[in-house]
Amino acid sequence: MGAAMTNTMLKVEGVNKWLGENHVLRGVDIQVRKGEIVCVLGPSGSGKSTLLRCINHLDPVDGGVIEVAGERIGYELRGGVLYEQHERAVAKARQHIGMVFQHFNLFGNMTALENVVYGPVKILKRPRKQSVDKAEKLLALVGMSERADAYPSQLSGGQQQRVAIARALAMEPRLMMFDEPTSALDPELVGEVLTTMRKVAEEGMTMLVVTHEIGFAREVADRVVFMDQGRVLEDGPARDVLDNPRHDRTAAFLRRVR
Amino acid sequence: MSTLNFEGSEQSEVSPVVAHYVRRPGEEPATQPTPIRAKQRMKYGQIVSALIVAVLLSMFTASQAGNANMEWGVAAQFMFHPVILGGVGVTIQLSVLAMLISIVLAFVIALMIQSQNKVASVIGRVYVWFFRGVPMLVQVLLWYNLAVLFPTIFGYSTNSLISGFSAGLIALSLAESGYMAEVIRGGMLSVPTGQMDAGMSLGLTRGEALRKIVLPQSIRVIIPPTGNQFIGMLKATSLVSVIGGSDLLTRAQLVYGQNFKILPLLIVAVLWYLILVTVASIGQHFLEKHFNVSQPGSRQARRKKQRPVITSVAVAVSGGTA
Repeated sequence: MGAAMTNTMLKVEGVNKWLGENHVLRGVDIQVRKGEIVCVLGPSGSGKSTLLRCINHLDPVDGGVIEVAGERIGYELRGGVLYEQHERAVAKARQHIGMVFQHFNLFGNMTALENVVYGPVKILKRPRKQSVDKAEKLLALVGMSERADAYPSQLSGGQQQRVAIARALAMEPRLMMFDEPTSALDPELVGEVLTTMRKVAEEGMTMLVVTHEIGFAREVADRVVFMDQGRVLEDGPARDVLDNPRHDRTAAFLRRVR
Repeated sequence: MSTLNFEGSEQSEVSPVVAHYVRRPGEEPATQPTPIRAKQRMKYGQIVSALIVAVLLSMFTASQAGNANMEWGVAAQFMFHPVILGGVGVTIQLSVLAMLISIVLAFVIALMIQSQNKVASVIGRVYVWFFRGVPMLVQVLLWYNLAVLFPTIFGYSTNSLISGFSAGLIALSLAESGYMAEVIRGGMLSVPTGQMDAGMSLGLTRGEALRKIVLPQSIRVIIPPTGNQFIGMLKATSLVSVIGGSDLLTRAQLVYGQNFKILPLLIVAVLWYLILVTVASIGQHFLEKHFNVSQPGSRQARRKKQRPVITSVAVAVSGGTA
């Protein structure tokens, strides 16, 4: 709980992760302060998505420390030894970490509104009426009020992603993680999702965004992290990294993406 | 107006089918070509096979209608006989109860197999292996003869607990649950893994996400094969006739055991099984329709107050330019 006193929202220190034979994360260090917006760039296979999945312990790490708001995720220290937490405790920690997926993953059997209401009512055990009011406000924020009663299959990809953002926000997360939120979208639908993410950023949310949208990173991000082959190559203010990359590989990547 | 004489020319003389496509004065030029007025090829194969079937069917009907051993009168007489109707009732009871019990068991077994708990998973797999592996008829006989192994159960005489009906019910339920567990597991596997991730990222545990998010969505996939299984179950109940389960077939056998009108009573059984299966098929059709609502391709939503789909365009546009 010590770090909660400072304003560090996310601390990733020396994180290692193997997927089978693959050493996907090789000692990753990233810090995100409260209210900061950090974009993670990098070629596919560089470990960006795995990092996000490790942060909320969807995939357990093989080494290193991950703390959100000063709380260690997935493990607890007892007598100098790290123990994996009980599933219930991990699930509770995840409540405070919002996650938006590349493929939206809206619950297919629920309407847009039910998707947003589900977490607060079924997991946080809030009263339904209050949760519905709040969900309606969130749907308004993401511009989806008119389609509140539609099922995901009746929505476009961009609309689904905006509902997914509202669903994550409904849990009042301390940190919002976006895993390539626009990569699965038709080009003409990317704009509406980025606009929504900009709105969320303006609300003061702490955000960690894995993306290929350099324009978004330049405009919205406080810091940009560049990852390659499981390592952080660059970490600095957006303009510095994007305009004056120190590494050849960053420069090469940026040239290709642009 | 060049279109005017177009309408007045040769077009007006041809058949009324084409007249529909004639341009009216002031209209946009028709982009549609005149439809092809071709005759469909005669489907000779279809006609010939229909004739052959008709001839064979009428020959068979003619031969059997007059067949003295058929005794249609006896069949008609026993069709609604209380003994037979009672058998129909037992068959329905047995199928419905066995199906319900097997579905409950199968959900538990499917969740066990999918569980992270390796012991539970192995137990589930062995269960399916055994109950799907042993023929239903053998299971029926095994349960009926349970008394040989366990003369008493909890102090009660096994023979008094295990009747033809209860032994049949237990055997059918267990055997069916092996199949149903695989059906349910298949349904759960058909739900994209992202649903699990999404549920867990909101703060559900693995098991909760499986039960509350994945399972409800797998129902739609599970329903059609369950309907098939139920139809199979309706027929499989006839197996309990070997232990005197007092179902439809048992009763039919009971009657022809006394009056020796074997074929007429088997016809009665055939007709009743067909009626039951037909009713079950119709029920399955409506169940499938009901559970298909939130899926692509089916646009009517469960709720009536659904707004027209047109609004989606407006929202998408305004959202994009906002």
